[in-house]
Amino acid sequence: MSRAGVDRALVYSTRTLSDAREGNQVLLEATGNFTRLVPQFVCNPATDRLDDFATEVSDRQVCSIRMFPAHHSYPFRDWAVESWLEWLASERLPLWIGADEFDPSALHDTLKHRPDVTVVLCEVHYIHAPWATLLLKSLPNLYVELSCVVGSGGIATLLETIGEERVLYGSRFPDSPMAPQLYNLHRSELSEASLRAICSGNLDRLLSQGG
Amino acid sequence: MDTPVIDFHAHVSRLHSMDEVLAKYLSIMDAAGVDRACVNCINADARSGNELAARFVAKRPDRFIGVAFVTPRYPHEALREMDHAFDDLGMKSLKVYPDIGLPMDDPAYYPIFEWANERGIAVMSHTEYYSETSTLSAPRRFIGLAKRFPRVSWVLGHSGNSPQGQAQAMDAARSGPNVYLETCSSYGDHGTIERLVEGAGEDRVLYGSDMLLMDARFQVGRIVTADIALPAKRKVLGLNAIEVLGLDG
Repeated sequence: MSRAGVDRALVYSTRTLSDAREGNQVLLEATGNFTRLVPQFVCNPATDRLDDFATEVSDRQVCSIRMFPAHHSYPFRDWAVESWLEWLASERLPLWIGADEFDPSALHDTLKHRPDVTVVLCEVHYIHAPWATLLLKSLPNLYVELSCVVGSGGIATLLETIGEERVLYGSRFPDSPMAPQLYNLHRSELSEASLRAICSGNLDRLLSQGG
Repeated sequence: MDTPVIDFHAHVSRLHSMDEVLAKYLSIMDAAGVDRACVNCINADARSGNELAARFVAKRPDRFIGVAFVTPRYPHEALREMDHAFDDLGMKSLKVYPDIGLPMDDPAYYPIFEWANERGIAVMSHTEYYSETSTLSAPRRFIGLAKRFPRVSWVLGHSGNSPQGQAQAMDAARSGPNVYLETCSSYGDHGTIERLVEGAGEDRVLYGSDMLLMDARFQVGRIVTADIALPAKRKVLGLNAIEVLGLDG
């Protein structure tokens, strides 16, 4: 992080892919003494009890949540996630979800009735770009994270489509390095204000809404 | 860092307006600090694709280097087309794409490679390896090719494109002095550049972007920010390409 010029990182445990509760505990142990690592919890609506999860999130002052519908084998549909979305809205907690984790139509149909839930679409590879762009245009409560946005002019296209307020720098570290996307951003003819918003301001705003 | 930057892996396509493509290329290349890009056209039959690539290069020969494309599916036309592409159109190297259905070391390619060997040119191929279910462009296939055609500079596009593929690519580079690894990848895994330089040697790694599919700024950023020494970065970014293509520095 220091080498790349990254001050803080929002992190989750990949252990959550097999067991969300265990993974969240592993995350807390791993990040406990490192204030530059901001923990993000993963929930699994198919197995977790919402009341217990909400208490843990509150006690640990966790400010964002991530879901893995595909890995955890549930659809991102009202009948599966509605109570969880109501809770996220009431607590003003943003939700992160990967582009490979859901059916775009299901996500669209679910979120168009929930403008009070903020969702961050992450790991958007160029194969996702056509539908992801349409989804971002359609849902004003949908943000996008940049770790896999490596297509030619991809960042410029996103900024033209949805503006800088819904775009967040991300790296996918340790699978991908932190610095190349920062290099890309700093060579994309962005204003100082836009760079600040994308690299930190937008995320700070999302994370400070909850609780 | 003041050093020549040459993109070894870029494409033009008939799907777009040439002037629009040129403007986008130059805008991104300037922003990324890329001096010249090697462009090929694999979206069409070889003749029309090479003509298109040559017309594109002719618009800014100071910024672009033509790369020919042929397919072994039409062997007699392929050899005539290489004569035309290199002697009439001024192409500097060759691109082949084994995922059209023939493995890279299929004998159907040999007349093409013999031609390339006689000329001592660089031949770049798409390479990838994820599992044994698809090995058409597995990097290990280049080990035999590099020995059989020693005057060809073999360039492994994407360097195998996965950790397993990279391991094969580095084995190929270590197997002979005429195998080079090109860096572009949409995954951009952490530590890839460092591993390739360590495993193949800093003289054997070439920067590439896969423009206009991918953004040169991100791909250059992978080299510039890699944890390798400055002289190695300069070689990867352009000095090695100058050597392989026989360009004036």
